[in-house]
Amino acid sequence: MKLTKQEIQFIDSYLIKNEVKFWDVRLELLDHIVSAVEDKMTNEGISFNEALLDVHRGFGNQFIEYGVSKNKIFEKGLYQSNSGFKKFIRQKQKELGRKYRKIIWKHLKIKFSTFKFWLEYASVILLFIILYQFKPEACFGVGLLVLILPTIYSSYYSFKDKSTRKSLSFSMATSSAMAVWSLYNLSFYILKNNYENVLSMPHSFFAIVACVFYPMIRVNIEVYKKVYNENKKTFDLKFL
Amino acid sequence: MSNSKLYKGSLNTIILKLLNEHDKMYGYEITQKVKALTKGELKITEGALYPALHKLEAEGLLDVEVAKVDNRLRKYYKLTETGTKETVTKLEELAEYIKTMQALVNPKLA
Repeated sequence: MKLTKQEIQFIDSYLIKNEVKFWDVRLELLDHIVSAVEDKMTNEGISFNEALLDVHRGFGNQFIEYGVSKNKIFEKGLYQSNSGFKKFIRQKQKELGRKYRKIIWKHLKIKFSTFKFWLEYASVILLFIILYQFKPEACFGVGLLVLILPTIYSSYYSFKDKSTRKSLSFSMATSSAMAVWSLYNLSFYILKNNYENVLSMPHSFFAIVACVFYPMIRVNIEVYKKVYNENKKTFDLKFL
Repeated sequence: MSNSKLYKGSLNTIILKLLNEHDKMYGYEITQKVKALTKGELKITEGALYPALHKLEAEGLLDVEVAKVDNRLRKYYKLTETGTKETVTKLEELAEYIKTMQALVNPKLA
């Protein structure tokens, strides 16, 4: 028995009410729940409400029936607890983080195995050396600009494209890209105690930090773009 | 998994084996296939299946393909090249494990 468009829409809204806000997480849950409900209605001969409640519990969402009147079991049962879905999202988040870290390392290895990248890297270092020779104080600004490139990139896409909003994949890719920024902040934190303010810190420090993290930043942007393209393809399939 | 904790350690191998036999499968299809093959003896719960699938995907053993089916999107999982190689290793490990357990539980048959 196939579910109607309205019934599928009901399940989608029920997932949103249960705080499954990320559209890319919801699409997998929606397909599973619809398939399971259809199957239960066909093979076990139960109603839509009974089947949905059954599947809801199957995801580990607890429901204490005690004290709930029979005519309210469906409504209360669906929204009493969403602990199963929360766990689902948490685990997916963890695995996505792992997946992107793995991809970043893989891309880094590939980059360092090409002559083209070594040439690019050497040019960046050379540019910083030249800049330091002529205008050491500019190293701070340029270094900072290089380090915030992933942030600028992700902000641009978040602003430009709807597919990036409420997407767990995109949000995890952004977090991975921000990791470089955290390392930069850590460097600041270490120096903070020895210098009065940022301007009194040695300018060469910013040039060195930007050069050290440059390959990471370059790869992060590449991975970010890859995630964006994959996500966009799925989003277009869903909404167009 | 509802039946026994003993199956838990073999869940990844079960998923890899099924995907090795089929070009691509979606989550619910995997649970139903396992149920059918084991005549209802082994029921993979949603809470166990998806973390395992996402973990295998993160490890680069599975690839994902999304397609539109009946007014909704469906995520299909399929083996990557590394996944295919890993399936062989995992199945060998499982066979070895069964042999060892057989020797322990029923030495006459081993």
